[in-house]
Amino acid sequence: MIQLKNIDKYYDAKFQRTFVLKGVNLDIDQGEFVSIMGPSGAGKSTLLNIIGFLDEPNEGEYLFLDQPANQLKEKQKVQYHRSHIGFIFQAFHLIEEMNVYENIETPLVYRGVKGKERKAMVAEMLDRFNIVAKKDLFPSQLSGGQQQLVAIARAIVGSPKLLLADEPTGNLHSEQGQMIMELLKKLNDEGMTIIQVTHSEENAKYGNRIVRLKDGYLKEDE
Amino acid sequence: MVLKVVLRNLQKHPFLNLVKIIGLGLALTGIIFIALFLKNELTYDSFHQKSAQIYRYTTTDPDFFSGKHFARVINPGYIHEMSDALPEVEEFVRLRPVRGGLMKYDERYYKIAQAFECDSTFFNVFDAKMLIGNKETVLENPASMVVTQSFAQKVFGERNPVGEVLTLPSGQYYGEDQDFTIAGVMEDFPANSHFHPDFVATPLANQFAYGWAWTYLVLNENTTVENVTVGISDYLKNNREANPEEMDTEVHLQRISDIHLNSHKLREIEENSNIRNVYVLAIAAFILLLISISNYANLNIGMSGFSAKYLFINKLLGSSKSAVVKYFFFEGICILGAALLFTVLLSVPVNTGVIRFYKLNLLAGNSTTIVLLVLAFSLLSLVFGMLPVLKSVFSSIRLGGNRSSAVAVHRNGVSRVLIVFQYAFSIALIITVIVISRQTNYALKHSMGVEQDNVLCFESVHASIQQKFGVLKEELLQYNSIESVSAMLEPPGGEANDMFPFEMEGYESENPEQNFESIGVFPCDYSFASIFNLQFLAGNNFTENNKDNEGLGEYIINKAAMERLHYSNPDEIIGKDFKLIFSTPGSGITIPKGKIIGVVEDFHLSSLRKQVEPLVLFKRDKLWLLNFVVSFKPGMKEEALADMKKVWGELFPEYPFQYEHVNAMYKRVYKAELLQARLLSVFTLIALFICSMGLFGLALIITQNRTKEIGVRKVNGARVSEILTLLNKDYIKWVALAFVIACPAAWFAMDKWLENFAYKTTLSWWIFVVAGVLALGIALFTVSFQSYRAASRNPVEALRYE
Repeated sequence: MIQLKNIDKYYDAKFQRTFVLKGVNLDIDQGEFVSIMGPSGAGKSTLLNIIGFLDEPNEGEYLFLDQPANQLKEKQKVQYHRSHIGFIFQAFHLIEEMNVYENIETPLVYRGVKGKERKAMVAEMLDRFNIVAKKDLFPSQLSGGQQQLVAIARAIVGSPKLLLADEPTGNLHSEQGQMIMELLKKLNDEGMTIIQVTHSEENAKYGNRIVRLKDGYLKEDE
Repeated sequence: MVLKVVLRNLQKHPFLNLVKIIGLGLALTGIIFIALFLKNELTYDSFHQKSAQIYRYTTTDPDFFSGKHFARVINPGYIHEMSDALPEVEEFVRLRPVRGGLMKYDERYYKIAQAFECDSTFFNVFDAKMLIGNKETVLENPASMVVTQSFAQKVFGERNPVGEVLTLPSGQYYGEDQDFTIAGVMEDFPANSHFHPDFVATPLANQFAYGWAWTYLVLNENTTVENVTVGISDYLKNNREANPEEMDTEVHLQRISDIHLNSHKLREIEENSNIRNVYVLAIAAFILLLISISNYANLNIGMSGFSAKYLFINKLLGSSKSAVVKYFFFEGICILGAALLFTVLLSVPVNTGVIRFYKLNLLAGNSTTIVLLVLAFSLLSLVFGMLPVLKSVFSSIRLGGNRSSAVAVHRNGVSRVLIVFQYAFSIALIITVIVISRQTNYALKHSMGVEQDNVLCFESVHASIQQKFGVLKEELLQYNSIESVSAMLEPPGGEANDMFPFEMEGYESENPEQNFESIGVFPCDYSFASIFNLQFLAGNNFTENNKDNEGLGEYIINKAAMERLHYSNPDEIIGKDFKLIFSTPGSGITIPKGKIIGVVEDFHLSSLRKQVEPLVLFKRDKLWLLNFVVSFKPGMKEEALADMKKVWGELFPEYPFQYEHVNAMYKRVYKAELLQARLLSVFTLIALFICSMGLFGLALIITQNRTKEIGVRKVNGARVSEILTLLNKDYIKWVALAFVIACPAAWFAMDKWLENFAYKTTLSWWIFVVAGVLALGIALFTVSFQSYRAASRNPVEALRYE
């Protein structure tokens, strides 16, 4: 599903080039649950951003569903965001100006799903995550765990093929974190490909493969 | 859905959004009113169907009043034959002013502001809507009159005036009473006409042979002005010139629509405006537009951080670029909608004010223009308000996350340029306002009798009143409240155009071929020099009586006249024999021969725009003393007015008691400048207000963005004063740069503007300093509030906030 070949990502300062990623090669198949690990500054988030079309590599080739990413037009990237990729973040990144219901509904709106259908899909998510009672609340009125639940609901409401999670439990206490990880595991069991960035060995074990990054190099692939 | 988010986001920053709304609303209101005013100015006389073909005919001749250009034509009796002789001239009309200022009906006198005796062709040339009567026939007969609606109402109330007879009373200008029969009623001439008669009437008999008349020709559509000018010159040469080879009369044809803004002739029907006023206002409107839009754009850039997260997440969720555009579009629409509402609310009182002060209903009948203006303004602010935001949003959005909210205004080049530019305009505007106000004050201060502030004028009184001037003076001077009484040919602010040939002991003409040279004359009462505090350079004032005997005539000349007579030391010209020659046969008027008894410093009877002309003052009894001036003792205005009214009522019961303060008369002379000064101060205030509000908003955003930095600096030992300096340094730099840009531009513009005046104030350096300091002061005052709040905040709080 995902093929990264010799990916370089760097920033040019006046006299020196700082590499964030250097010669990264990585293949990920459909249905995998991959955990990317590594110390701060290793380039984990950058790698995730490149996979999610939020950033572009300076060198190397990235194939998504056998399509070279650098040839994708802006429109196609938007299309992938709409139908293929879901995101979750450490900081949840819910839209502050929208309540729970509207937050979950947003990707469906962009996808052009009809009103009635949308209602049904959002209702199903609310039901599944047990947050029906919270649907009119705004993000600031929710606990961290609840916010992350909403964020996941929003990420998967359109049944994406790929879920990208950037430290999904980083801002949560362990109990809530565990709950979120269980949820991701379940989604993976249902067939969703998941790539997560994490610091926690424990959380990494929920997945079936661990990739380690250090100073921009891919160190280990278990 | 986007709209909902937009609205919620707008509510989150009510103050900043209010700043945007007020800024745009104020500017739009200003622009609408300026534009409508300019439209009014630029469409003068275009309501006549033949406007493009109507030309005003004038001539100049170096031998006649030294080539002064009068708006009227002298002895226009020949116009009729001339028009017949020239096939290019389709039609003509002559307008002779009805003088004396009064009409009599049913034994009562009614004041008329302006009226004409005209040819029966009046309505073939000019368009006026007839309410009663037929345009084609209404002026067919001699002594037929068409009155305007408002004049009819003043005299006859609601009655139908047709068939009534109005009398033009005899007096100085008319040998006997003349009766006119009202044949029709027309609508008042619109505000954008260069004349507004109370009535037009055909004369009893052809009276156009002598005197003056404004003369208009309708030219054939297929001819050119040059053709007709040549045609008229030829006609004059062949028919009117005694000496055709040496004719130096020049023919001028001016399009009627050019009169209001581009005519600066003598004896115009009404005081005209000036194309410079149009430029000044157009530039002001343009500046207002630029400032408001740049301010709006700047605040948008600053605030784009607030919606950055929303936009970033939306991108993740699959929104396209068009959705971002849509977001800012809706935001813009909301702000503009509110600004429009504000404009509507603001326009009502502004329009009421304009109607009250300038008798101009700018909003009436201009709905298409207003809609177009609003649309254009909305489009411009939408596009230019969004562009820089979209640019910075698109470049920052892909880097993702919260970091994009730091679209740092203080490092954003566009913002910096916009602020500098706003302040440059503001500083230039402040300088402009100071210079124009100073010049207007200077002009008013130096005008005759303004500084004493106690002189009243009875302008152009009726001949029978003029005859009793001596009695009036004697009566008035018996009252304790009255200081002095005098009379003169021209009113304060008027034009002293009359010139008589003269002879002087020892004077050698520069041009020996000419029999006599002429010099400007000014008949007045003996106390003229004392009432206006004229400064004597040499010699004495008139003796206290108005009658001079042959050989003992008294002449006072001004400094310009002394130089004209080739003297530089005033003492030397005193006592020289002098004689004015008045040569209208049969008038019976002679001016006694006499001596020059005094030289006075030049005084400004007319506008300071013009150079003071050589002028010879001489006393006359019961002749040419058209305007009375009365000065009262300081602080006794009320008593003086009561006393004057009493005396007037006893002497002239049938004439209205109408006087004017000399200050007010000079203010009328500088009406255009005063209007400019007032309008520009309003616009400067608006511009400064918009700039300050914008800067205030930006300061808020900048300090918010730098909260963490400030916190860290404080934790590391920075003092409040150091933080303040750090924050305010940028603003000072911006204003300083703006000052450097504004000064030369303003200096250049004002230097040009002052060229309007023969006598002017200097462009002192302090004006520029004041403007700069003012702008800097306002800017610092605006931002310091924010800076101080940010600087004095507990750093722990600041860091937690981040």
